[in-house]
Amino acid sequence: MDPSRGTSCARNINPQHTTSLPLTHQSSRNNLKRQITDQLVAPSDVLNYERTVKRQKPEQLPGSQAMDKRHPSSFQQLEKLGEGTYATVFKGRNRQTGELVALKEIHLDSEEGTPSTAIREISLMKELKHDNIVSLHDVIHTENKLMLVFEYMDKDLKKYMDSRGSGGQLDYITIKSFMHQLLQGIAFCHENRVLHRDLKPQNLLINNKGQLKLADFGLARAFGIPVNTFSNEVVTLWYRAPDVLLGSRTYNTSIDIWSAGCIMAEMYTGRPLFPGTTNEDQLQKIFRIMGTPSERSWPGISQFPEYKSNFHVYATQDLRMFLPQIDQMGLDLISRMLQLRPEMRIGALEALSHLWFRDLPQLRQQQAQQAQQMQLGGQGSMLMGGASGGGYGVPVYQ
Amino acid sequence: MAYYRNQCDSYFVESHEDQEKRFREELRERDRRQKWQTQLAIAEDLSQLISCEYRDDVLQHMETMEGKTLPDVASIDIQTEIKWFMRPYLVDFLIEAHTSFGLLSETLFLTINLLDRYCSRRVVYKKHYQLVGCSALLIAAKYGDRKDRVPTIKELKQMCCGLYEDDMFTQMEWHVLQTLDWIIGHPTIDSFLQLALENVAYDPEVEHMACYISEIAMFQKEFVSKRPSDMARSSLALARCILSRPQALSTEWVAKYDSDTLFTLSKQLLRPSKVLRTKYQAAHLSRVSIILEDVLARQVSIGRCSANAPPTPPSEKCSENFGNFPHNVMPVTPTKPSQLVPGINNGCPTPPITPTHEEYFNVNQNPFKTNQNPGLGGIRRPPTPGSLPRFQQQAVPFSLPPISQMAPMY
Repeated sequence: MDPSRGTSCARNINPQHTTSLPLTHQSSRNNLKRQITDQLVAPSDVLNYERTVKRQKPEQLPGSQAMDKRHPSSFQQLEKLGEGTYATVFKGRNRQTGELVALKEIHLDSEEGTPSTAIREISLMKELKHDNIVSLHDVIHTENKLMLVFEYMDKDLKKYMDSRGSGGQLDYITIKSFMHQLLQGIAFCHENRVLHRDLKPQNLLINNKGQLKLADFGLARAFGIPVNTFSNEVVTLWYRAPDVLLGSRTYNTSIDIWSAGCIMAEMYTGRPLFPGTTNEDQLQKIFRIMGTPSERSWPGISQFPEYKSNFHVYATQDLRMFLPQIDQMGLDLISRMLQLRPEMRIGALEALSHLWFRDLPQLRQQQAQQAQQMQLGGQGSMLMGGASGGGYGVPVYQ
Repeated sequence: MAYYRNQCDSYFVESHEDQEKRFREELRERDRRQKWQTQLAIAEDLSQLISCEYRDDVLQHMETMEGKTLPDVASIDIQTEIKWFMRPYLVDFLIEAHTSFGLLSETLFLTINLLDRYCSRRVVYKKHYQLVGCSALLIAAKYGDRKDRVPTIKELKQMCCGLYEDDMFTQMEWHVLQTLDWIIGHPTIDSFLQLALENVAYDPEVEHMACYISEIAMFQKEFVSKRPSDMARSSLALARCILSRPQALSTEWVAKYDSDTLFTLSKQLLRPSKVLRTKYQAAHLSRVSIILEDVLARQVSIGRCSANAPPTPPSEKCSENFGNFPHNVMPVTPTKPSQLVPGINNGCPTPPITPTHEEYFNVNQNPFKTNQNPGLGGIRRPPTPGSLPRFQQQAVPFSLPPISQMAPMY
């Protein structure tokens, strides 16, 4: 017989004490509770009792120091930045340091405990530390919500494009810089066996230094090699790869590359490339531009669950027609990313070494110089302004 | 098969047409199967493609992560209430739960890892041990499995016979997450196994046997702090040895297993938990527990015969040696031809199976297995212990068990 099954029913385990209820707000009841739980489920220093010999006094418990930092009240909540299906994001300020943060509040379902999205997101974010991935500072837990403290970013790519006027189109250098950073973030995820699975402009965050970072790993997951089967309910429809739309469940890193290709096109035009409304419509929108695949162009396509032999047959269009501003090299890169067949799609690492990015350091330097000149120019005008301001002094002399 | 017999008994003339219809159906079935195969092949190609690009990075990352997420046996040792002898009971319970929820195989390994890591950091009361196990299962399922497969707290509560209240599960889940600092991405033995097997032809028996061996090891204290990558390599090498499959080339990552681990592993095979043995009797897991028992039984009979036969070298030495055999030297005759497997579905391993019996199952139940191991195709007569090549007697790394030790297995 299982000894643990045979034991009497336990009423209360109260493991919360290490998650640190705020000391300052604690009633004596909580203190009592704390004392009891200390004896029940003890932290590791108690576990290593024999080694450390003397037990730490309650006020020296490591938890109490971390407490100030870890309590939600240590952040001033500012305006709401966005609302998702499972979380709300606020702008916040660390009361102690004044640092701006993004606070992602996840409502806890008391029925089923911590949502799987939160478990995946937090544990994956803890593994992924990279310049192009938004960093997770802390996780704070209160009775009914979970608060993730992220570094603050000014805008998402969607808002950034909208704010630029010009119908959302971005300039050549910005596109190249953003694409490079996006692919770096993706490559880092893939190297660390993480699929993002939900890349879209809303999930790419931009700060005023022109940095782009991947965010919202709520749909991300770790993949094995070889990749196992997953649900195909991933990625916002517009950025969903054709193989996933066709019902493939053995997709892999190429799914993120397709999304990146769609985002690249969107940065050129300011509009989504394939704005489908349903699964079928999405496929049709893709085929209309990329051409309807056949068993000849894509061996094995007829075996996909969602494949229909009566797909409307479209001829392949030249992507240049839809992206008039694109240069030859950029066209080559985007067409390698937007391959219908997943195995033909370029990998993130390979894409990073594409010739299109070769002049990026040079362009950045130029841009920096220009900015410097602008600044200098600005100073010049200020000097001028100073001079003209001096003109206001004329009456004094008179 | 019943259909066949009916036909033989009947006097109806239509039977000829029936046969044609059946033939056509068979053709269609084969066609469908072929299509499925191409689909699988495509998926495999796809996997290979990314693995070319990311394999080394992923492997490196997995090896760093496994170092960060190892339980500490010494800390579990100083637990005041829970003792090591209790752990197998809990593991049994978790395996049963895991199987009944139909979760991914890696979820089980992750569950046990979370459990042991928690127990290396917190004092756990005996009455909460099962609760910790359930919370670990819940977290592992939420991390890796499809949403609709994740067990609900109500189901878990039922599984624990109502021992714990609903909110205790959520509290403990939270506490486990917090204790482990939310680092759940432990690379499991299973994920390393997948990685090791990605470039070889699909051989479910080897895969399932390796899984079975690593799950047997899951019960043992001495493997708790072993790196999953080591465990995966050793289990795979042992599985290949048991099934007489060629070992990996010595240059590969897979071949770098620890012979000590392998030897310790081989000693555990004699007494798998009943729950685990039953689990691996299932057809979708290639009935590897039966195969293993059969192989072990054969070992015993060889052991008996070897009284007259030339003496076998000591087993320790073998375990070091056998990995170095180049795979082309390996004889093709296995101790256990894979075609025989479905014949033993009643649970009693019966070595001398008549050829007709073998054909029967070979043709009808096991269409995928034909031609898998071309060297086996011609075998109609199971080899008698005496006729086994000498090499095999050497190659198997585990020592021949005395019959008294074999007893608890059956």
